[in-house]
Amino acid sequence: MKVLNAIFFVALSFVSFSQNIEKLNGDALFGDIQARHIGPALMSGRVSDIEGSLADSKTIYIGTAGGGVWKSTDGGVKFNSIFDKYCQSIGCVAIDPSNEKIVWVGTGEVWTRNSTSVGDGIYKSTDGGRSFKKMGLPNSDRISSIQINPNNSDEVFVGVQGALWGANEERGVYKTIDGGLTWEKIFYIDENTGCSELVMDKENPSILYASFWEHRRTAWSFSSGGENCALYKSVDGGKSWNKIHNGFPQGTLGRIAVTIAPSNHSILYSVVESEDKAKSGMYRSDDAGKSWQHLNADFGLVVRPFYFSRIVVHPTNPDIVVKAGLFGSISRDGGKTFKGLGQMHPDIHDIWFDVNQPDKIFVATDGGLYRSLNMGGTMQMIENLPISQFYHISVDNQKPYNIYGGLQDNGSWIGPSSSPGGIEARDWQTIGYGDGFRVYPHPTEPQITYSEMQGANAIWRYDSRIMQQKVVKPLQVEGDDKLRFNWNAPITTSLNAPDRLYVGSQYVHVSNDRGDNWKRISPDLTTNNPDKLNQEESGGLSKDNSGAENHCTIFTIAESGLDENVIWAGTDDGNVQITQDGGKNWTNVTENIKGLPANTWCYHIEASSFDKGIAYAVFDGHTSNDKNTYCYKTTDFSQTWTSIVTDEIYGFARSFQEDFENPNLLFLGTEFGLYVTLNGGKNWVKFENNMPSVAIHYLDMQKETNDLVMGTHGRGVIIMDDVSPLRQISEEIMTEKVHFMKVKSFEMSEQSSFGGTSTPTQFVGANPSTAAKIVYLLPKRHTFGKMKMWVEATNGEFVAKLTPGKKKGINIVHWNFRSSVPKVATGKTFTAGGFTAPRVAAGEYTVKILKGKDTFETQIQVEYPKNSVFSLEERELQFKTSKKMYNMVEELAYMVYQIDLFISHAQKSAEENPKLKKGTDKLIAELTALKEDLVVTRGDNYVGAVEPELREKMAEAYAAVTGYFGAPSQTQLDNIELIENEMIESRKTFTSVMNGSMRKYIQALKKNEMALPVVKSYEEYVKK
Amino acid sequence: MKNLAISLLFIASSFILKAQDITADEIVKNYIENTGGKKAWSKVNGLKMTAAINVQGMEIPLVIYMLKDGRTATIVTYQGITFSQDVYDGEVLWGMNPMAMKAEKAESEKLENYKRGIGEFPNDIFNYKNLGYTLEFVGEETKEGVECYKLKLTKKDQLVDGKETENVIYYFIDKENFVPIVVEQPIVSGELAGQTSVTVMSDYQEADGLYFAFSINQMVEGMGGSEIVISSVEINPDVDDSIFAFPGE
Repeated sequence: MKVLNAIFFVALSFVSFSQNIEKLNGDALFGDIQARHIGPALMSGRVSDIEGSLADSKTIYIGTAGGGVWKSTDGGVKFNSIFDKYCQSIGCVAIDPSNEKIVWVGTGEVWTRNSTSVGDGIYKSTDGGRSFKKMGLPNSDRISSIQINPNNSDEVFVGVQGALWGANEERGVYKTIDGGLTWEKIFYIDENTGCSELVMDKENPSILYASFWEHRRTAWSFSSGGENCALYKSVDGGKSWNKIHNGFPQGTLGRIAVTIAPSNHSILYSVVESEDKAKSGMYRSDDAGKSWQHLNADFGLVVRPFYFSRIVVHPTNPDIVVKAGLFGSISRDGGKTFKGLGQMHPDIHDIWFDVNQPDKIFVATDGGLYRSLNMGGTMQMIENLPISQFYHISVDNQKPYNIYGGLQDNGSWIGPSSSPGGIEARDWQTIGYGDGFRVYPHPTEPQITYSEMQGANAIWRYDSRIMQQKVVKPLQVEGDDKLRFNWNAPITTSLNAPDRLYVGSQYVHVSNDRGDNWKRISPDLTTNNPDKLNQEESGGLSKDNSGAENHCTIFTIAESGLDENVIWAGTDDGNVQITQDGGKNWTNVTENIKGLPANTWCYHIEASSFDKGIAYAVFDGHTSNDKNTYCYKTTDFSQTWTSIVTDEIYGFARSFQEDFENPNLLFLGTEFGLYVTLNGGKNWVKFENNMPSVAIHYLDMQKETNDLVMGTHGRGVIIMDDVSPLRQISEEIMTEKVHFMKVKSFEMSEQSSFGGTSTPTQFVGANPSTAAKIVYLLPKRHTFGKMKMWVEATNGEFVAKLTPGKKKGINIVHWNFRSSVPKVATGKTFTAGGFTAPRVAAGEYTVKILKGKDTFETQIQVEYPKNSVFSLEERELQFKTSKKMYNMVEELAYMVYQIDLFISHAQKSAEENPKLKKGTDKLIAELTALKEDLVVTRGDNYVGAVEPELREKMAEAYAAVTGYFGAPSQTQLDNIELIENEMIESRKTFTSVMNGSMRKYIQALKKNEMALPVVKSYEEYVKK
Repeated sequence: MKNLAISLLFIASSFILKAQDITADEIVKNYIENTGGKKAWSKVNGLKMTAAINVQGMEIPLVIYMLKDGRTATIVTYQGITFSQDVYDGEVLWGMNPMAMKAEKAESEKLENYKRGIGEFPNDIFNYKNLGYTLEFVGEETKEGVECYKLKLTKKDQLVDGKETENVIYYFIDKENFVPIVVEQPIVSGELAGQTSVTVMSDYQEADGLYFAFSINQMVEGMGGSEIVISSVEINPDVDDSIFAFPGE
């Protein structure tokens, strides 16, 4: 067998491992580079659907607007993300009632606000959400409902609401009879009308209710309602359908919600959007839809049907009805009257009753998931759902740096990239109301920040030193048309002038005094198309002019960091304009972008940091129902543009980041995750290491740390720490057995380990490592044979063992700058002081890897913090004292080792030869007495602890000196002197015993030709 | 030499081609064959592994005993103090409480779950059929940068807080070498419920004709791990039964 194995492995070594960057997939390339999630979760994000188990109410799934699917198995106390690999915009989640391991997910949120994302089909899990498989309907865009026959897991009905931004035929009711392998469209109205709700009578699965909704969004309008909006019923498993409008209002209808009372299947509730406002609102049928009675048209029932059309009925009482809405409404009289749900974040989208204890409800809101134990009377937020939806982020240059950003319906925030104990809710500071968007620090005075709310209704300048805010938005002046601001209006600062601020309406406005005074420096840069400026008419049957549809506005402004006169501007109606004279003259260069459909939203322009003529532009066509990826590069001030998109990218893009050092290292944020290119866009690789397929609305890079910071619209802020290894990957290094990446010198953190106040049910964002990072690339995974890694001082002295990474691709090994703990004397209990390893001095260290028979090495530099309060003299004293104590701890350990050895040896000798007993008894007594002064020989590691002996006192003094980075205090030195004196006395006693009873014992052993104790040398004993 | 190289390359290539339409059973057979062969493994009745864990500059030595009859013990030595963890003597599952420094029995549910796994020797996929487990080939996935076969092992149900719960483990077998390099197991109870336990294996080396992973790195997915480095594996060791015996509370 050995021979076979040998042949097998030799043969493998002949297989060519040569590969090029293009062929590497993400897993093989990125290795240990992991995404770091920092949340926040304190304001959470929009939850679109809740589905709980009927059998086991501890199992709850939630679907979110942009953060995927989360599952709780503890009754909703903690949730884990289970859908990271797939589309994160969720329409609905459904558990198979006959086999709860089967879980279906329909993607594409159905609460169709302007910022909603898109779906890409239906998914199924057969293992309770551990893994999913895509089961089709790839063009469904939005799936509103999944209904599973409780008697047949393979029979599933799906309501497809369909595309929001255009016509499509993949709408209506679909059915599978083979568990999703094939689908049949069993009910279809037209390409503009989708199934917004599908409900099955679980007592008779042949009975189905389906509401159809005609609706459409454009970038500048929304329309709800039409002649085809209707509620249908099928009693034959979807073969035939009939309208059930007896009692419904006449005229045009809009979105219709429908549900069945679980405790009485003849009772239905429906909420109807109607042309006749007096007849909008809540309807009830007590005869399974044969007739309807209008009950209520309160504001809470008719508000924004596109956002709130969900009704849920109590599991056992058919008269308790809850309606989603701005605040949520609950009725206890069968829908006649309603009151509001308890206080929580507004915008309620779904409610779930725990069937086993119906007073317990969960509520899905724009600000996360809430739980109530008294049926909505008081609400408690779930605090571990980091599903916040950032529209934009930026970073500052502080240490640690901060992230600034605005959230959908959750204001504007500043949070740190690291914090003692992890990044907690308390670390985030609010700096804006309403929906938050672009937030920037002043480039040189980060106490000053700029933030805004929707439509630039306010742009604030906030000074945290005096805690004052001032509205500093540009205003219409003589000669201007009414200013048009996008919902997400562009603000940006300048790399050339710290007090400069740009804001875009249809014009570019600039302020050189932090927003106090403004100058318009452009004409209207948009198409100014009057057909797209009728927002007052938006909404369809229910007017909805929130500012979300403001159009023909500037969306992105980029001033070159290399020349303040070069400014690019991109508009939401597809224009790209450039000025090279600071705004005096603008050129519309849109026509130079070949292959880009007209009027495609220019989402982001990135001015290169390498050449002022280079820029990148990202276009998002999804509001025209175009989901292609558009990213272009110009190298000649927009004279020509070249697409840098390849087929490897999935999903439309919104954000882009150019590396600061390697012009070929580029990052593209798409609706389905992050893509990276190492060769300027010839090939792209998806980054999936702890990185969900989430929409990335903005990318930024922190220059000092080289961190790529992602503002995601559904998973908060995600950071790819230190991208510098990616700068160094080339085809050449892929051929080396081990290639160490160049790393900058490491500063040893001297920050306290205090921190952390969160409870176990609160989300805490991960901190970056403060350790040294040894980065190397393996072209092949190490699977067979030894691989070891360690650190040496420049003189070759061993310092510390490390655990090597063995992945194919990039490996990152952390070293905490510590050497080994001292060997401590054996006692009855542990001594905590012995858990401390000394930190190394600043300087150069060699890191070595032994791989098979080959040794590879690299050098790293370690530095003290630049802002340290400790002098080198203080450090010298600390090192000297620590070293002295380290040696003393080990000397004591060696002494106790000998004592234990001699006692044991003497006991055995006495047993073998009773004539020795008299001598051994004396020896053992003397050694035991000494040992009892050296280490604790009784007690335990908790409250049974006994008074400390020399070992405990010594180790404590050692740990105190070693754990601090400055000089020991005089009190500590005095204490050490006391310990040292005690050690001297112990040494004397030991020597005395050795020269007395021990010498006699050895003589007796020799005389009786008995084996002498074999004692390790000191060096051998303490060897690490 | 050239001809030999070509021949060996052919052998390797044909082996890899064959792997494309492989079954779970064939993957396990290959794994067993490549790590010593069924016959050699069948003669193994016990293992003694001498190892160490390196945690933040502290190297903690340990010795792991695993016997075919289910008895097991992990004996840790630190600061000269020896204490036993996860010991099963054929009846009692126990370990030392590190605070009180005394032996304590594991809770009954943990014991029951342990008993249900007796027979998983040297691990749970070697003789999965005899144990009544099911093993499915569920696809290919990249782990540790290399392409792997993903196997789903469904074992006997386990008790979780009093409820019978599915007990599933995923094995990722390196397609080139047919040895497991990653094992993933969903965590079903406690604070980490819902997350995944990940074990990464490497440094396969020979001991008495059998191949073992000498590096075992255990972690919760997305977090740092602790590497157990094995320095020696003794096959069919002489074991003093007293190391398993529950010493009483």
